[in-house]
Amino acid sequence: MAAVANVPLVKVSINDVEIEVPKGELIVESVKRLGLEIPIFCYHPRMKPVGMCRMCLVEVGFKQQDGSVRKMPKPQAGCTLPASEGMVVYTDTEPIHADRRGVLEFLLINHPLDCPICDRGGECPLQNNTMAYGPSTSRFIELKRHLPKAFPLSTYVTLDLERCIQCGRCVRFTEEISGDHDLAFRFRGADMQPSTFQLTDFESKFSGNVIEICPVGALTSAKYRFRARPWDLETTPSVCTVCSNGCNVWFDHRAGKFVRINGRANEAVNEEWTCDKGKFGHEHYNAADRPTQPLVRQGDGFAPTSWSGAYDPVLAAFAEGGDRVAALVGPRVSNEALFLLRRLFERAFKSARVSSNWRRTPGSGSVQGTIADVESGGPVLVFGTSLADDLPIVHLRLRKGATNAGARVVNAFSRPTEVDRFAAVSLHYRPGSELALARGLHGLLAGTGATAEAVEAETGVPADRLREAVEVLKEGGTALSSQGLYDLSDGPQIVEALAGIARATGGRSECWATGANEQGAIELGLAGEGATATLQACAEGRVKALWLVAADPFALHPDRALVERALETVEFLVVQSPVGSEALAYASVVLPTALPAEQDGTYTNCERRVQRVQPAVPPPGDGKPDWRVFSECLLRALPETPLFNPREVMEAIAAEVPAFAGCRYEALGPEGTVLGGNLLDTPDEPAMVGGQA
Amino acid sequence: MSFEVFRDVAQPIIAGFGITARRLAEQKVTVQYPDDRREQFPRTRWRHVLTRYDSGLERCIGCSLCAGACPARCIYVEASENTDQERYSPGERYAKRYEINMLRCIFCGYCQEACPTGAIVLRKDFELANYEREDFVYTKEMLLEPIRG
Repeated sequence: MAAVANVPLVKVSINDVEIEVPKGELIVESVKRLGLEIPIFCYHPRMKPVGMCRMCLVEVGFKQQDGSVRKMPKPQAGCTLPASEGMVVYTDTEPIHADRRGVLEFLLINHPLDCPICDRGGECPLQNNTMAYGPSTSRFIELKRHLPKAFPLSTYVTLDLERCIQCGRCVRFTEEISGDHDLAFRFRGADMQPSTFQLTDFESKFSGNVIEICPVGALTSAKYRFRARPWDLETTPSVCTVCSNGCNVWFDHRAGKFVRINGRANEAVNEEWTCDKGKFGHEHYNAADRPTQPLVRQGDGFAPTSWSGAYDPVLAAFAEGGDRVAALVGPRVSNEALFLLRRLFERAFKSARVSSNWRRTPGSGSVQGTIADVESGGPVLVFGTSLADDLPIVHLRLRKGATNAGARVVNAFSRPTEVDRFAAVSLHYRPGSELALARGLHGLLAGTGATAEAVEAETGVPADRLREAVEVLKEGGTALSSQGLYDLSDGPQIVEALAGIARATGGRSECWATGANEQGAIELGLAGEGATATLQACAEGRVKALWLVAADPFALHPDRALVERALETVEFLVVQSPVGSEALAYASVVLPTALPAEQDGTYTNCERRVQRVQPAVPPPGDGKPDWRVFSECLLRALPETPLFNPREVMEAIAAEVPAFAGCRYEALGPEGTVLGGNLLDTPDEPAMVGGQA
Repeated sequence: MSFEVFRDVAQPIIAGFGITARRLAEQKVTVQYPDDRREQFPRTRWRHVLTRYDSGLERCIGCSLCAGACPARCIYVEASENTDQERYSPGERYAKRYEINMLRCIFCGYCQEACPTGAIVLRKDFELANYEREDFVYTKEMLLEPIRG
């Protein structure tokens, strides 16, 4: 718990060292200021203390008038003890050592000690604390408690009840952080067990986090089960590229193969949480159908070739193509690759037809604040998006703002979503009436004579609810939505109406991207004419050569018939893809490329934060990073020195694209850097992702 | 043949044969390898063996503690889960792949010391020479003790 302004400081003495700490700070946090540590199980810095495990016992006393210290007769739990003036704390005395041994012996009575087969073994707080503070032998010779092992709590989480020490971290996570209240304790005493209420599936969209915060091996990952031990793993700081939040993660790998994702702390983005889509959504790194070498079409099949053997027909088909050649880019391509692709098309192919926009209608959203601003406590209108699906970390932030800072939330969506659980007002409109509702709310807030009854007639939202929503929003209400709105036929008008609402209330207007680098593509000017227009041009024969960059149009575009027609009609199709996709069957040339954690580059998240990703594992076979493919094509096509590494590409981006001015790898701190911030005056010191040298 | 030649050449040879002749009666230290093999000391550490329980189930549970203890990092373990249809070891976990790179192994015996079930033991088979480098990577099938009985 960080120090808050206006909190008076109090003098406490910890192990006879006097320090000043904010009044009310928990002793378990205060000792960290001296570099000391109190062993903990149930305490978690981001959750409320409960004092369940008794591991953090300390001796506490108060200074008397004559200068002596009068200790309390019993030890106190450091995690529930707020600092007060004159408090004297001892963390390292003989009675405390005896207490810790006792607590650990007690916790281990029913713990099965199956560490050799436990996935937590090697990184287990119970193991570590037992090694550091516990008894070396057990006196317990009676029969231990026996309960189900490997109980599948959900597709992702496996529960081993024997190992549970009843600390309540998982239960409190679902109550305090994710807010879905999925888990609870059943029964009492030695029978106490965390579970869902009706023994249903643990369906939380953030369930993976309980695996990481469980201090024993009771909650383990079903996907990581028995796949490796911690000492077998290498880990690389990375950024999740499943959605646009850009969560910082640890990318754990073994012998060049991806193994698991763990959350990495970044206070500006994900704090330390991950969503299930990100945590369990990286299995495609190990997919068996990934292309491993360049292929060229030969009759009905493909012939493997070398990279130069693949470049020659590609460059021949695209050279000087003008408007008759086009590229479509997927949402997970790095800034560097996007920039070089645009340069390749502009300079070598004389074409501006590079598009990253797969939405039905064009639009570039709106970013005015940051993810951290969402929890500031101001009223928020969530419009037309299921936040926990589209922007999961923003959902957690908004919930934190609603529960901790008293933010009042209005949730407008056609069906119930997770936001309804903490929303002050929920507006469930008829599907298709988004524009009417946005314009109606704008009219009610701006006082332009619109009536709630008229809006009710159009949208099906009760007029009373609308008036309540207006009451909540009128003071500084921020309009928060995702660019998924552009998938609606009247998307741009809805976003415009939402901007009007923000103007009327004096709040911010946020319409955030959902693809990993969708925002980066917008900043780099690659939104283009849109995939639909390009595909239509292909289908009508106006485009003779199409380049798909890490994009599977069958997955990204809703109109399957159009995609099929376009890919069948276009004369020359380059499929540059890190994974197998349906589009490969139509390809003239297949170029195998690397996934995000297999290459160097930067990603721009939904709040325009540029974060660096480092290569963790090598791409399979001859796969190359996307930026290198474009760099090599530029080298062949143009008589100019190409950019040979991503760092140089970023320098070129900073020089050419105004939004990225001042953006250099050296200037990206461990938390990444928001574009347009104080990039220009950052010192010239080397900084790496994750603070590693 | 002069006296000097007899003294300096023939006499030492005869003396040498004499020593040999006397030793012929004593017990021999060398053995006729490979026809004969000397018994190894009881705690000799040579080739690894993955042992089984009397029931025939593997002792190894794929915990990878041997790989963690190995100073030469020559052990690779990949674990998997037992099912009731396909059971290799008692309990939940077994080693799907277990490989030791004998070229790297320094026969320190730390793996044996780390093993919580006594699965990996270093036994007395010392004839580990081979022709191809690849053949020195011992797989689980090579290391597992045959089912007795």
